[in-house]
Parts: sequence; structure tokens; C-alpha cells
Amino acid sequence: MNAPARREIWREIRLPGVQLSGAATVAMLVVAVVVNSALQPNFWNSYALTSNFATFVPLVAIAVGQTVVVLSGGLDLSLGAQVTLAGVVAVQIVDGRLDRIPLAVAAALGVGLACGALNGLVVALLRLQPIVATFATGFVFSGLALVVLPTPGGSVPVEVTTAYRDAVLGVPVALLAILGLALLWWVLRRHRVLRHIYAVGGDADAAYASLVPVTRTRVQAYVLGGLFAALAALAILANTGSGDPFVGNELTLASVAAVVIGGTALTGGRGGAGGSILGAVVLALVTNIVFFADVPTTYRQLVNGAVIIVALALAGIPALQKSPASRKRRPVA
Amino acid sequence: MSPLLEMTGVRKRYGGVQALDGAALTAVRGEVHALLGPNGSGKSTLDKTLAGTVVPDSGEIRIDGAAARIGGPRDAHALGVAAVYQQLSIVGDLTVTQNVVLGLEPARRWGFLDHRAARARAAAALDRFAAAFPGGLPLDRPAGSLGPGEQQIVEVAKALARGPRILVLDEATASLHKEQVAVLFDVVRELRASGVLVVFTSHRLDEVFALCDRATVLRNGRTVGTVELAATDEAELVRLMVGDAPRRSGAPAAAARPSPSAGAAATLEVRGLTTERLRDVGFTVRAGEVLGLGGLQGQGQSELLLALFGAARVTAGEALLDGRPLPLTSPAGAARAGVALVPGDRGRQGMFAARPIQENLSLASMHRRARLRLALGAAAERRAARSMVERLGIKIGSLADPVSTLSGGNQQKVVIGKWLLDRPRVVLLDDPTKGVDVAAKEEIYAIVRGLADDGVVVILNSSDNRELTELSDRVLVLFEGAVAEELSAAAITEKRLVAGALRLTPGESP
Ligand SMILES: Nc1ncnc2c1ncn2[C@@H]1O[C@H](COP(=O)(O)OP(=O)(O)OP(=O)(O)O)[C@@H](O)[C@H]1O
Ligand SMILES: [Mg+2]
Repeated sequence: MNAPARREIWREIRLPGVQLSGAATVAMLVVAVVVNSALQPNFWNSYALTSNFATFVPLVAIAVGQTVVVLSGGLDLSLGAQVTLAGVVAVQIVDGRLDRIPLAVAAALGVGLACGALNGLVVALLRLQPIVATFATGFVFSGLALVVLPTPGGSVPVEVTTAYRDAVLGVPVALLAILGLALLWWVLRRHRVLRHIYAVGGDADAAYASLVPVTRTRVQAYVLGGLFAALAALAILANTGSGDPFVGNELTLASVAAVVIGGTALTGGRGGAGGSILGAVVLALVTNIVFFADVPTTYRQLVNGAVIIVALALAGIPALQKSPASRKRRPVA
Repeated sequence: MSPLLEMTGVRKRYGGVQALDGAALTAVRGEVHALLGPNGSGKSTLDKTLAGTVVPDSGEIRIDGAAARIGGPRDAHALGVAAVYQQLSIVGDLTVTQNVVLGLEPARRWGFLDHRAARARAAAALDRFAAAFPGGLPLDRPAGSLGPGEQQIVEVAKALARGPRILVLDEATASLHKEQVAVLFDVVRELRASGVLVVFTSHRLDEVFALCDRATVLRNGRTVGTVELAATDEAELVRLMVGDAPRRSGAPAAAARPSPSAGAAATLEVRGLTTERLRDVGFTVRAGEVLGLGGLQGQGQSELLLALFGAARVTAGEALLDGRPLPLTSPAGAARAGVALVPGDRGRQGMFAARPIQENLSLASMHRRARLRLALGAAAERRAARSMVERLGIKIGSLADPVSTLSGGNQQKVVIGKWLLDRPRVVLLDDPTKGVDVAAKEEIYAIVRGLADDGVVVILNSSDNRELTELSDRVLVLFEGAVAEELSAAAITEKRLVAGALRLTPGESP
């Protein structure tokens, strides 16, 4: 097929979803690292690296969760609220006691699972628009979090926070956590559920006709999203040592941005969490840069928001030049 | 022995359209049963109720004498029904292997996928059609990167891999080459011999007579009869399909033809046109002439049309319309110069399936009706769309319905109508009657002739040799991207076309 030329014509016929190529994601990462190491003099020393990785983990986890939902053709705007809720529940349970950790972890995962299931049912069974539905459930989850823990507080055993900032054979534990999340994704990719999520996000009608249980698959995607949100909550607790009923607020937008920067199509069915992990790191580095560039505190949020918009816009440019034909040629990640 | 399949009183309503109105179908084991009818008569809808993708409003389905409750595709699968859909059920982003095993992926413990088993199953299912993939089976390529014919074969392989006892083939041959059709027929005959029931829908009556034992005919969602094909001739079958009412002929279409716009008469001269898949193609078409493109499919016919429409990268050569060079660089430029293309792969190339019929029809010609090139009058848009619906006899509920709700053949008419509204000077038709019923075919033929009479240059690619003989003033037979032979007037016979396609000298035609 004479793809390059045939491109033009069908571009107008099928609007491609926003999608960034792998090369662009890596390029952004390189730029972010270079700028960051220029601005942050001790960027490469082991203490700074460790604390950087420690802050990356939650964003990476929630980005992987958002990727799964987006791949299924949905979107979860309540993920940040789920992080908050799972976090405050876990911190209330653990209450500074080492022996309660397994229980707290299980509770956080249970919260993620329940929230995900609720979202999935609302979207898949009631057929509400994902954006509206999860925006609404997000308020419910945030409200619940305030009931569980009205003001920042609670404490995590100091052993946990120490271990989180430690290193094993010179490798920071937080980096191992990121690698663990990547491994988890790698395992999931080999599971039938993920294959069905790709199929449903790619073409729900075709998937339905091909015996894929579409409703169940959609619910499963949101449940997986919730479980990754719970992991993000645990990482935040391990990093900060205490609970905070507002902690997840900014994570939702960041998770969507990481997915886009990572090259997953917002229309679903194309992409993967590998890119989103890089995207999350890029975003976290950008936040770092804003901090070290001495942007006044009052402007930080504004600058962060602007940076995300620029990243989304950059992601949109190749999508405009790329045709459905060429994107079809790209195998599933 | 009770019939294997009994469908009775099947009804399905979509908004204002009664797609099925008490349709019935009875067929036995080891039979190839044709399901026939004009566009929009409900064939696909009946197929889908059997396959579970459409749940009927009422009606009864019995399989092997037992009442079957089919609430979804999985129920149908459990009953041994597999379907090839007219609008394929292929997920373009998944690989061919992933598509073939989709929904029934072989898995190890705990649902982890067994890639090797999946590949083996896909390879086994596609093996019969290996000849259709000269570069080897594309097991790991995304299905969306395959051509329409190849995707069709993947869809067939997927259904076969499910080992059905009832196989539904809904226009499965529409985008296949002749050789691929032959392989499919062999497979179907084998299935019949092993007791499988095949429900076969096609608008190509020669295929129906060659393959099927009996035929059930639908009209307006109702079953009008079932016939033994051995005891029926084509005229009889056509009469059953279109009814005794006088057939809509080309005459009204002719009356509604657009008046020739000033300066419409044109001559198209192509010199040395070369692209990745075309070699040095040259010819001249005069205004009012229909130039056919023949040969085996995939020898560059579609590419030639795309090149003239500015949608293929032209590496050498030029095309002159009335002595003025055509911009071969962009479809927008081509459209401005008065060139229209009715594409072959309508699903992907020709329409916005989810948008209303009216928008689809008026899109290409909007700029001509825009006041001050800006404002569009809602009434004028509706009038224009309405006139085209009437002229082509498109069966629709309302102009506001999305095109995706139309039957396959009616979608094709929308794609054609969209360009005719634009009053083009050169019309390029890429297999325009694919999936179109007999009556509508005649209408489209009348339109093509009408265009030529009005002084439009028409270039027609067709996989149907009969269509080429009927419509063309001249035919270029293409082979591997070059013009192998030119036939004109009386020399255009189906025999000569076949011979030319296979590059046989006239004497040794089969
Ligand atoms: N999802 C839908 N929504 C609305 N109308 C529909 C839908 N599907 C089918 N129809 C209508 O039902 C009627 C029957 O359509 P169907 O696809 O069964 O026809 P068909 O016999 O297969 O025709 P063709 O030969 O063109 O494929 C048509 O008028 C069509 O417009
Ligand atoms: Mg049909």
C-alpha cells in the first residue's frame, strides 16, 4: 500500500486520537533530565536521586492505572480521589503500628477495588459518560475521605518510611518500586483481561461480536485502575509518613497527562503503560524544574498547569500529522 | 428429521424503520442456504439475530428442534453459530492472530495467554487461504494494516476457527478476488459435506447458483419465499426479490440528472503516470466516454484512481484535463479541479459512519451551496440531500440518522451520492456496485451512463466483468501496474476480459 501519500486523504475522514510517538516521549524525558540536572546542582547525587524517585512512585502507579482505563476506551477522573480515600483508610487502620501493616495494605487495596467496581458499574451498566460519571464519583470518594480523616494526621510506622528511602545493593527502594510497577504491567499484558481491554477500547462493537464480554471487561478496567490508585496511596504514605485528605487532588490531571505524554491514545485501544511510566517521570521532573527554577510559590500551580497543557499540545501535533493508516500499522504495545 | 434451524416471526424495529417484519428461515443440516433480497430488506439484521449481535423484538429461533434463547454472541457461540459480518468484526489495532482467537484466547492457568497456541490456531485457520497472502501469513501484523480482501479472509478464518455447525456468511465475497472466492467455496463445500449449515448472503447471483442448494428471499423484512435453486432460474429469483411491482428503472434518474454545467465537456489525458505500484500508465478519455479498468484485482486499478485523485504519491507523469494539468498532490486540489472519487473501501475511506446521512451527502459539495462561502442554509442542505436520496432510491428512515444505521448497499449509495452532488467533471468509480442489489445496480448503471451523456469523463474500476462489458466504451486491462491491453467497443466481452487479465492471447482463452 502506498501509505504515506494515501494518508492525507483519510485524515479528514477519521479524526485520530491524541497520541504521541515513543520517540517524542523519550525526547521529552531527555530534555527534562538535562534541564533538571542543570538547575538542581546535586541532581545526580544519591540522596537527591533517592528522594526524587520516592516522589515519582505515586505518580507512576496512578499513571499505570489511568492507562488501563484509557486503553479500555474510558477515563477515570476519580483516580486522585481514590488515592486519597485509600490513603486515609490505610493510615487510620495502621495507626503507627507495624503489625497492622498487612491489614492496612489489604484495606487500601479493598478501597481501590470497591471504588473501581463502582465506577465500572456506573459506566458499563448505566452507560453514563465516563468523564461525567467518574467526575461525580470522585466527589463521593473525596467526601468519604474527609469523613474518615477530617484533617491531615495519622502516622505510619517509622520503619516503613525509613525502608522506603533506603537502598538495596545501592539501588533505591523507590526505584525498585517503579520497576515493580513496570513488572506488574508486563505480567498483566500477558493476561486475557488486558487483551480484552485492548479489544474493547479499539472497537467495542467488533469485540462484542467476537465474544468478548464487553461489560465485564470495562468493569475490570476500572477495578484495575482502582487497585493501582491504592498502590499510589500506599507509596504516598510510605513517603510522607502521614495521612492527608487532600493529597490526591492534583494526581488525576497528572495521571491523564502522563498517559498522553506516554503515547497512549485517549480514544482507547492503542498504547501501553511503558510510555505512561516515562510520562509520569517527565511530569515529576517538570515539577522539580519549576521548583528549582525559583518560580514563586504562588505561581507554581499556574506554571505546572501550563506545562501540562504544552505537553498535551505537543502530543497532539504528531497525531494531527499521522493518519489512521499509519497508526493502524503500529502493533499494540 | 427436524430442520437444524428454524426462525419464525422475527421482528425488529429501529426507530421508524421496521427492519424485520415477521421474517422466517428454515434450513437443514448439510445445506448451503442463500438468504437473498434487495438492499435494506433485512438480510444482515436476520443474520445478526441468529449470531446474537441483534436481539429481536419478537420471534422464535429453534435449533435442532429446541427453542434457542440467543441474548448475545456468546449464547450463539454456545449453540454452535459463528458469523462473518458484512461490517467486519475486526479490531484493527490487534494483530491478525489476536483477532482470529479474540474472545476465545487459548490460556494457561489463571487466564494467562498462551501465545504459541494462539499462533498455531490462527495459522491453521488461515492456512487454507495462504495463496491470498503472497508474502506469507501476516500473523503478527495489525489487522487494520491489511487490505479489505485480506481483512475479509481474516474474518472468515476467525469464524471457521470456532468450529461452527451453523456458519453465517454475510456478503463474505464482496471484497474477495475471484481466486479467493474459489477457495472460500471449496471450504464451504467441505463444511456442507460434514453436515454444517451455511447461510450465505450475496448479491452476486452467479455465486448463489454455483454454491447454494436453496434460497430464501426477503423483501421489506418479510420472507416472500424459499426456492430450490436447481429448479429456479435467475429471472425467477430476481422477480421474487424485487417483486411484481414495476422495477424502478433508470428513467426517473435520467430526468433528474444535473444539467451539464458550462464547460463540463472535457478530455482527460494521462501521460507516463508512475507511482509505487503503477508503471508508466498513459491513456486519453474523451468527454462522454466511460473508460473501464479491468484485469485481476489488485493490479493497480485502485492505485490509478487514487493517483488521479491526488491521494497516491506520483513519482512521474502528468494528467491533463482539457490541456490543463491536474494537481496530483492532494485530494482537496483534485476536488477543486472537478475530480470526484467514489472509493472502494467505503467503511474506511468514504464516509463518517457515525454522522447523519444528510451531512455525509452534502459534505463534498457544501462549498458550492455556501452563501458568501460561509453560511449554509439548513433548508438548502436538506433539499440537496433529499433529492439525492430520491434519485438513488436510498432506503432510509430519516436524513438525521447516522449512516452506520443503513444497510450495506444503501451506505454505498450514500457514498456515491455525496460526490454526484458536487457536479464533477471527472468521476472515478472504484468498484461502485460492491454489495449493491440488482435493482440499485441498474440505477447506478443508469447514473453512470447519465454522467457520461452529460459530458463527464468516467473511469470505472470493477471486479465484475459483466459490469465492465455493460458500461464501458473502452477497457484498459491492467497487469502489475501497467496497461497490458486495451479493448474497445465490440471487443469488450467477458471472455476477452478474463483472457486479458490472465494475459492469455485471445485464442487460448479458457
Ligand atoms: N442499527 C440500526 N439502526 C437503525 N436502522 C437500522 C440499523 N440496522 C439496520 N437498520 C435498517 O434496517 C433495514 C435492514 O437493514 P439490513 O442491514 O438488514 O439490510 P440488508 O438486507 O442486509 O441490506 P444490504 O443488502 O444493503 O446489506 C435497513 O433499512 C436499515 O437502514
Ligand atoms: Mg446486509
